[in-house]
Amino acid sequence: MKIIVCVKQVPATNEVKMDPVTNTIIREGVESILNPFDTYAIEEAIRIKEKQGAQITALSMGIPSVVTLLQEAVSLGVDDAILLSDRAFAGADTMATAYTLQLGVESIGDYDLILCGKMATDGDTAQVGPMLAEVLGIPQITDVGEILEIGTDFILCRRMTDDGYETVKSKLPAVITVTKEINIPRLPSIAGMKRGKAAKVPVMTSKDFQLEAERIGLSGSPTQVVRTFIPSHDIASEVLTGSPTEQAEALIEKLREQKLLNW
Amino acid sequence: MSTEIQPYQVEFDEYLRDESRSVGHADSISFPKNEDELIEIVRKLSKTEIPVTVQGARTGLAAAAVPYGGHLINIGRMTRILGARYDEQDNRFFLTAEPGVLLSQLRKAVSSGEFEIAEPDDLTQAALCRYKAGEWFFSPDPTEASAALAGMVACNASGARSFCYGPVRPYVEALRLVLVDGRTLHIRRGEQKAKGRDFCLNLDDGSYIIGKLPDYAMPKVKNASGYYIEEDMDLIDLFIGGEGTLGIITQIELRLLPMPKAVWGITTFFPDEKSALRFVRGLRGEKEATGVEFSVKPAAIEFFNHKALDLLRIQKQKIAAFAHIQELKATYYNAVYTEFHADSEEKVWEMVEQMNQMLEALGVSPEDTWVANNPRDMEKLLVFRHAVPESVNMLIDQRRQKDPAITKLGTDMAVPDQYLDKIMDMYNGEIQTNGLDYVAFGHIGDNHLHVNILPRDMEDYRKGKALYLQWANAVSAMGGTVSAEHGVGKLKAPFLAVMMTDAGIEQMRALKAVFDPQGHLNPGNMFTMKKEGDA
Repeated sequence: MKIIVCVKQVPATNEVKMDPVTNTIIREGVESILNPFDTYAIEEAIRIKEKQGAQITALSMGIPSVVTLLQEAVSLGVDDAILLSDRAFAGADTMATAYTLQLGVESIGDYDLILCGKMATDGDTAQVGPMLAEVLGIPQITDVGEILEIGTDFILCRRMTDDGYETVKSKLPAVITVTKEINIPRLPSIAGMKRGKAAKVPVMTSKDFQLEAERIGLSGSPTQVVRTFIPSHDIASEVLTGSPTEQAEALIEKLREQKLLNW
Repeated sequence: MSTEIQPYQVEFDEYLRDESRSVGHADSISFPKNEDELIEIVRKLSKTEIPVTVQGARTGLAAAAVPYGGHLINIGRMTRILGARYDEQDNRFFLTAEPGVLLSQLRKAVSSGEFEIAEPDDLTQAALCRYKAGEWFFSPDPTEASAALAGMVACNASGARSFCYGPVRPYVEALRLVLVDGRTLHIRRGEQKAKGRDFCLNLDDGSYIIGKLPDYAMPKVKNASGYYIEEDMDLIDLFIGGEGTLGIITQIELRLLPMPKAVWGITTFFPDEKSALRFVRGLRGEKEATGVEFSVKPAAIEFFNHKALDLLRIQKQKIAAFAHIQELKATYYNAVYTEFHADSEEKVWEMVEQMNQMLEALGVSPEDTWVANNPRDMEKLLVFRHAVPESVNMLIDQRRQKDPAITKLGTDMAVPDQYLDKIMDMYNGEIQTNGLDYVAFGHIGDNHLHVNILPRDMEDYRKGKALYLQWANAVSAMGGTVSAEHGVGKLKAPFLAVMMTDAGIEQMRALKAVFDPQGHLNPGNMFTMKKEGDA
């Protein structure tokens, strides 16, 4: 079985700073990490490999330093990794990203399963996985919390929905996006880290593909980000101090002020 | 009014206990909000015959904060960080805090650089201008982050990283104290020293205390048992680890350390105890243990025995909070956690590779390791380490439902390096002979394990207590200590008596009497003022 895991580098914080002019993420000065959801996708791929054997390739589109993150994926148990990196790919929205990943996936070829995290913690769109399935013309199962069975040409998954769970069977190859319920990602071992450090990660640029130039990068992105903001939660809390009696009296007073108590 | 001495009422019940789960009793209680109020309360009490127990966050495991009658002073409202100081010459940063500041609060302030100092003086303002968040840390790391600083000072607390950095003691630069008679004392490290075993301590009002230090020799191991005594010692060290018996801490100046740039934690799983112990000795630089030269000083070396892993496997299935701990393979018998600090990732990796040579020499697979090299993964290993004592407490709470008289019997003993194998054989062998249930974990780098006997019934409990006393004798004979980090408090006083002998205890009594002739301050901690057999 051949598995491709799509991964992304994201800022370590969820308070992403945006460039007010270009409306793209400011990455300088913020530690970069593997998108947390993608670590679950990697772990699931490794578990499949441990259970029934598989060849796992990690695939990412990003800046050159993402090579380190892909080596990290190798240290966890991924066999090899490919980075798609080119200035021409920069500024891509989810659609241009899916197209670029499609190029990477097709260059690997002969795959059975593509695993993605359900979304990235910077953009929170959850669109790239489904779009990738769409451009590849293969089925997708999103928000998978458990893989129940993998046969030679099918996969049976339990996916989470707003109302509960759905059990879905799909033919392979397919794209699966996973939630945090699916497993507990492992930490790397010393042996794994040695493999990661030694791993050579090939970097592919736009020149390596026969591509439609109007579908990549910023210019190939129909999405326009007009404004971004972090939702603020204005919940004020007040700590009442004093002896328990004083605190109880102060609480009663507060509740009366708020007209929540009418005695 | 925070200087009010309130009569004891049922609503104060929570203040009668600490994490040892011992319950005491009190006649009155007070909650001072600042140093002046605390001093006023002590002065009021000094005119009476009422004994005083002082308590912080009650996270202690030896009942030092549990009152046995009299007045109870709770410092839980003295929680301000008061000032900062930067020593440019030696690149040292100091913080002054009230005694009730919690370790978690201090850590948060240190990591964020937000100290919320209400009225910063010039020195503080100058220091804060130089302060950069993330560049400093407070090294003592007891597991319980809700401990109060004064409690940590009073018992000379430690933690995993004490293997490299030592306990709280060297990080206490100055103390302000109030003595039981209401006189106050501001003592700064380096300023007041004993001459040989004689001392003269100058107090704030110009008066002084003259006395003689005990002549016992302290065990040459990590230690939190009995007064710290040395010839020509710095007198500030009398109060650190003094368990509140000589004076009440009203302010603490702490020294921070520059934060290492790279911090890695590695948990290694072993197939048997022998190889784990050889690895520990190897990590300490004992080449004969593994045949490999290891020249690095790890920040921490911690151990989790096979019973601890078994308990964790069970609790992981039951407790949601532990469900996110990585799977423990069936072949993992026990674990050793090692932490490395250095000024670059490359240097830490060199340390890891050296360590790996030892693992190879021991026939342990480098696959059987969990490596954390960033704060998020370090947190995962911390959850794993803390899950063991938490699992123990949950199990004991469960067993107490059947028999409330049962408590955990947790040891805190340390021995010199050469006795590591012997002490492990002793613990394992005697537990087995007595048919008891237990887990063992802790600071094995210092030969300091917490053996937790887990009684299933009162018969087990009695056997466990007898064994504990037997071990206190054995450990003392090896030149070890009966408490390496939790302090003696009230619960371990019988073990301290074994370790110090009657003569040592008598000398400690005499020292306390110089500060507190009536024995009114924190009575019962470490020893009682009355000799056995006295009326």
